[in-house]
Amino acid sequence: MEIYLPIAQMSVHWLVLLGLGGGIGFLSGLLGVGGGFLLTPLLIFAGIPPAVAVATTSSHVTASSMSGALAQWRKGAIDLKMAAVMTLGGVAGTFAGVWLFAILRRSGQMDVTISAAYVVLLGTIGALMLRESLRSLRAARSGTPAPRRTERGWLHGLPFKQRFAASRLYISVIPPAAIGFAVGVLSAVLGVGGGFVVVPAMIYVLRMPANIVMGTSLAQIIVVTAAATVLQATNNHAVDAMLALWLVVGGVIGAQFGVRAGAKLRGEHLRLLLAVLVLGVALRLLYGLVATPRDLFSVGGS
Amino acid sequence: MRRAALLVLLLLAPASAGENLVSGLSQDNIEIRSNYNGTDIVVFGAIEKPASDARPDIVVTVRGPAGDLRVRRKDRVGPIWINRSRVILRAMPGYYFAASNRPLADIASTPTLRQYGLGLAALRPSAVTGPHRPEPFLDAAIRAQSKARLYVQEDEAVEFLSGTLFRARVPLPASAPRGRYTATVYLLRGGQVIDVRSSELSIDQTGLERRIYDFAQNQPLAYGLSVVLMAMAMGWFSSLAFRKS
Repeated sequence: MEIYLPIAQMSVHWLVLLGLGGGIGFLSGLLGVGGGFLLTPLLIFAGIPPAVAVATTSSHVTASSMSGALAQWRKGAIDLKMAAVMTLGGVAGTFAGVWLFAILRRSGQMDVTISAAYVVLLGTIGALMLRESLRSLRAARSGTPAPRRTERGWLHGLPFKQRFAASRLYISVIPPAAIGFAVGVLSAVLGVGGGFVVVPAMIYVLRMPANIVMGTSLAQIIVVTAAATVLQATNNHAVDAMLALWLVVGGVIGAQFGVRAGAKLRGEHLRLLLAVLVLGVALRLLYGLVATPRDLFSVGGS
Repeated sequence: MRRAALLVLLLLAPASAGENLVSGLSQDNIEIRSNYNGTDIVVFGAIEKPASDARPDIVVTVRGPAGDLRVRRKDRVGPIWINRSRVILRAMPGYYFAASNRPLADIASTPTLRQYGLGLAALRPSAVTGPHRPEPFLDAAIRAQSKARLYVQEDEAVEFLSGTLFRARVPLPASAPRGRYTATVYLLRGGQVIDVRSSELSIDQTGLERRIYDFAQNQPLAYGLSVVLMAMAMGWFSSLAFRKS
């Protein structure tokens, strides 16, 4: 049965919508990322207009993050204070991002900017994560504990220090707020929650304990993507409620299975999996930018 | 049903001096509902007072609401391909269909086809904005719209049911824009247009789809907030449901 999407103004089979939502939701629960970085390109590939894909993915990420965050909350694995600080930066970043989105859309460079931004971001993060997780896996195999870096870097010289009890950290609020801001911009421009940036940043920059990272990133993603959804609806009229509903139904179910599967896997393996996935998407997008397009022309409506 | 409609048309057709046309549509108001996946309409008609026993030529066109098409061309900049040049084609139809009983090139000369806008090759924008030569951009636009099944040309798709009765099936994909459409039938003989008949039809959303669309357009803030609330509620319900199981 085909489902007509009133804002995208096209019809898509319901199994495609449910399957996309479910698959992305599973990854979301498994890895603590929103999955938007995969869903947006997949929706565009399915023929949904890029603006609608970006805007609607935000609301899908809200739902799957909500589902995942509640599961983590019951395990006591959320640092609410950290999430609040990052969210403040995140909402400000979202406003900046929606503004940037409108400029890119007018200039006709949105597609290429989105792809190039993905390649740089995903490529860098994926490579760093892959190196790190391979190193810790090798260390675990040889019996020696992974070298835990204890150097006190530039992070500790910044003002506005706060105690984050759940994360067992005493650091300045500037780095988490700045990470939040950057993720807010990404969220609005790329339709992603930003988990693939937040999770590594929390682990490698803020040095938060791994067991608390997933829940905390999911909690702040809920708020940032909710803000992005509302701003996309008011500024660009690009949120498709029917598309969102089908993706969300698939997504929330998938996320629950993901959380369960995640509990059975070790942290190093999870990070390796995420790294491979992130690198794969980056390479695919890079190919799209570099390869000679089949048709040099593209057509858009008003 | 269709046959009955044809009969009525034949009876009501005005008596006039020369050879002329009567035509109608199987449906003049298409409603988009939740399972809408495009539809087919039938344009049918009859030739009144045929001037000779030789069968005349019939061309059927359907045009959707006009709008601008922005066509961009990618160029290589360093290692990557980016959009460098843009041309705006003004007032191009959002949907275009042309059917004929035999290839258009055999029916009339190119200037005649151009004059009446018959066939994809005769499509022209009302104006062009941009510093580039427009032809390659127009070709690209027609190519892209054809791929999306929004521009269709079918030779030999006008079917004669008898010497004077004919019909053409018009496939409207789900992505065909909403709005007013005009279906036009052209009667030609010896490369000359003898008679033209037009009928209007409209494609519009109804029911839930209509309400969602209006809500998004008229109250975007409330709409955005509702989508967010729905998403959060679904996330919450699912985590409750799965905790119990």
